[in-house]
Amino acid sequence: MASSSSSGLTFKLHPLVIVNISDHYTRVKSQSLPTQAAPNSADASSLPPAPPPRVFGCVIGVQRGRTVEIFNSFELLYDPSAHSLDRAFLEKKQELYKKVFPNFYILGWYSTGSDAQESDMVIHKALMDINESPVYVLLNPSINPAQKDLPITIYESELHVIDGIPQLIFVRSSYTIETVEAERISVDHVAHLKPSDGGSAATQWDIPCENSLLRQVSSLLRRLPAIESEKFQDDFLMEYNDTLLITYLAMFTNCTSTMNELVDKFNTAYDRHSRRGGRTAFI
Amino acid sequence: MNLNMSSAESLVAQIQGLSGNLADLTQLRNYLKQSDDSLHLESTRLAPLLNELDPSLHSLGYLYILEACTSGPIAKEQANEFVLLVSRFMNVCAAEHIRLASDKFISLCKRFKDQVMLLEDPMRGVAPMLAALRKLQTSTEQLTTLHPDFLLLCLLSKCYKTGLSILGDDIFEIDQPRDLFLYCYYGGMICIGQKFRKALELLHNVVTAPMPIISAIAVEAYKKYILVSLIHLGQFSTSFPKYTSSAAQRNLKNFSQPYLELVNSYSTGKVSELEMCVQTNKDKFESDKNLGLVKQVVSSMYKRNIQRLTQTYLTLSLQDIANTVQLNSPKEAEMHVLQMIQEGEIYATINQKDGMVRFLEDPEQYKTCEMIERIDSSIQRIMMLSKKLSTMNEMMSCDPSYLGKVGRERQRFDFDDFDTVPSKFNI
Repeated sequence: MASSSSSGLTFKLHPLVIVNISDHYTRVKSQSLPTQAAPNSADASSLPPAPPPRVFGCVIGVQRGRTVEIFNSFELLYDPSAHSLDRAFLEKKQELYKKVFPNFYILGWYSTGSDAQESDMVIHKALMDINESPVYVLLNPSINPAQKDLPITIYESELHVIDGIPQLIFVRSSYTIETVEAERISVDHVAHLKPSDGGSAATQWDIPCENSLLRQVSSLLRRLPAIESEKFQDDFLMEYNDTLLITYLAMFTNCTSTMNELVDKFNTAYDRHSRRGGRTAFI
Repeated sequence: MNLNMSSAESLVAQIQGLSGNLADLTQLRNYLKQSDDSLHLESTRLAPLLNELDPSLHSLGYLYILEACTSGPIAKEQANEFVLLVSRFMNVCAAEHIRLASDKFISLCKRFKDQVMLLEDPMRGVAPMLAALRKLQTSTEQLTTLHPDFLLLCLLSKCYKTGLSILGDDIFEIDQPRDLFLYCYYGGMICIGQKFRKALELLHNVVTAPMPIISAIAVEAYKKYILVSLIHLGQFSTSFPKYTSSAAQRNLKNFSQPYLELVNSYSTGKVSELEMCVQTNKDKFESDKNLGLVKQVVSSMYKRNIQRLTQTYLTLSLQDIANTVQLNSPKEAEMHVLQMIQEGEIYATINQKDGMVRFLEDPEQYKTCEMIERIDSSIQRIMMLSKKLSTMNEMMSCDPSYLGKVGRERQRFDFDDFDTVPSKFNI
């Protein structure tokens, strides 16, 4: 189903869309949790994990010549019985967005999941009356620490002849991320609002074996007996010491900054005659 | 309630019976608390009870009875016995027991210290006090009320090494704030002479400790702090770090005028000026018992001047050194330089044939494995410190007195209106 597209269109995706989709998915997932009986650790193995809910929505943007730029997205309701998106709602939303962004058109739709499915084609075809060649943006919500790229795939539809029958199938397209300065700042801000538990990623999952890294390490180790010279020792130890010193300096700076905050707070709380006016601007 | 023979026996039986595990001990403690007053009333008759108890097994009961029977004034003849009895108890008592009655234990140890000092034999108290201290502590990071007493005994008996062993522990928890002042002050005095850097750190802690009103200990510590700073660092800055209490910032300088004059004359770099200043203020230094330190400041002046020479010259003759530094003869200059080389304060070689001194660079190349280990252990220490600091910072942010005040002190403009650099990097 997924070979690479030959339409020659270039796709540009804005990070706002990614944040929207992931936010939509997270919200729906967290809201649906109470309905599932929370399995305690004893039952976790016996109960199969509930399949993650799928969310749906529309993506909007601009198409200029061969470049398709996806700026924004909004959510839609999915009707599982009719395998289609709520049409009336979509049109109402479209009208509203047209008023604010007259240039934006509906370029396609999005969903979540690990791979595009057969039923998605139904939705895709339904949208074809709004846009002859809609795009399908798929977000993979499962967190895979081994994967380095974004879990986003953009699919187009193409007519291919399979077993003598012409069919519409999904084909992958490549895309780039495009940002405007203001967008970058705000997305950055939103991303940092999360409580920083950077260590958890490394501690929660075992880092999967990276074979390429291991190969490099083993080739380095095999080369070591050949470089047993005094000069190498000196250089190596000096560089090692330099790295350690930089780490030490970095920790020092971090500690000093924490200490500074602590002292400021202490002075505000307990020193009766501390400087009025609180913090001074850092110039 | 009169403590007659049968109730004395039952008391002993109770103590012996309930000294097994923690649950029993708590019960015993409550019982002893109730009987405490009657124990005190019968203090003269309690001594034979002690013989029936084992201080290491029945420490809690032993403590109560011992404290009660020694609570009255102690005559000089009995002082020796008292000291022997209590020091034996302090050495063998069980830590979990005495922690349940820490106040009693502390008051007992303090009386012990007083008696030892009255007997003018502080050395006898050092080892028992150290044992008692270690048992009272729940961790090496805790400062107990016995710490300053221990250090005082070490100072008086000149057992500096033992004192230094305790001073090596980093303190993160304090029982009573006033313990900190005395601990750091005595600690600073113990370190002077062996480890000037540690002395400076401890005295700095006294001076900058939070104090709502000025403390006499801080005043004395400040004077010594000035002197130690001159000896060890060759300079003294009169500005206080921002974590110093405002009481200290306003008042300390008023009490240490002669010392600040000393700082000024030191900074001129001329030994003659320094000596003049010492002469004028000699009486004040003597009454503060700091004259010895002041003399060390004067001799450190020569060291400073020689160190300054290393920055200008590569080689210099001993005669020239003597002239610049205002020493009397090249021989004296040689002695000074030799001592400094030995203590690692400068790197130089003396050529005795032609009396020339060649100043060298620090030979440390930072390419040895030992250096790696040193840096690594420093990094480990600072990681631990960083964790503790972050926890303290978070606790402080939730502190109601902080939250109350920070709301009131909000500036007219919102914080976000200023273009601030992010205040924290996440590593």
